[in-house]
Amino acid sequence: MPQQPSAQRQAPPSKTNTLSLGIISVLILVLTMQIWLLTAALNESLDGNNAVKWPAFIASAVLFLAGAALLRYLPDPIRRANKAARHRRNTAGL
Amino acid sequence: MNDSMNNPLSHRSAAEADFPIERTEAEHVTRREFAKFLCLVSGGMAVGSGWVAVKDRIFPPFAFEGERYVCDAADVPVGGTHPFRLEGTAMPFILIHLTNGTFRAYEQKCTHLACAVYYSPDKNKIECPCHHGYFDADDGKVLAGPPPRPLPRLDVVIRDGAIFVREPDHKA
Repeated sequence: MPQQPSAQRQAPPSKTNTLSLGIISVLILVLTMQIWLLTAALNESLDGNNAVKWPAFIASAVLFLAGAALLRYLPDPIRRANKAARHRRNTAGL
Repeated sequence: MNDSMNNPLSHRSAAEADFPIERTEAEHVTRREFAKFLCLVSGGMAVGSGWVAVKDRIFPPFAFEGERYVCDAADVPVGGTHPFRLEGTAMPFILIHLTNGTFRAYEQKCTHLACAVYYSPDKNKIECPCHHGYFDADDGKVLAGPPPRPLPRLDVVIRDGAIFVREPDHKA
């Protein structure tokens, strides 16, 4: 079966835009929660309450791993693929 | 020069050939790069939380045994203060002779952003001049302003006219 043209093998830009923005929004949310955990743990630790710091660290680490896992779903940049294809077409007959 | 006659891309200048990436393209931050940067900052936050969890093990908070001499009670008039330091720590402390005649000793660093606090005898409060935080002179509780925690205090013991301080009994 002949391979489809490269443009049809890529997701439309509107879908990749939405996906990118969604991932960035989730990452900002994760960062906000981590900032809150850090400030709360530091405040409690300085006040002598040591019950919060380890749960806060575990929660922050879990949030970081969840955010890192999200990076796998980042769409490939469309511009770069098209540029490579154009360069190949331009230099094919040389 | 021979290369320029044979090369069909010779319309590009030598500078463009040496630096093929445009400046705007090089400086442009893609959403992909921004998402990776956010993830990097998130990792930094997790490391920071880990540091908060282990810092007391690596750098234990200052504590001392027994009593330490500060000064004579007669050296501090009513409403007056006496700054002092304890061996083994760089933390500044302040001894206060309250208007009701009792003595109190606190760390002199504000719990907000570590400004030096001072005692106002007319208000009977400990004030931080930086951001107008107020602490209760009797127990160091936060009365007003941005400080998040009470002022750490030491117990004061007066014996034979001399003032000693010791770790508070209720400290965790």
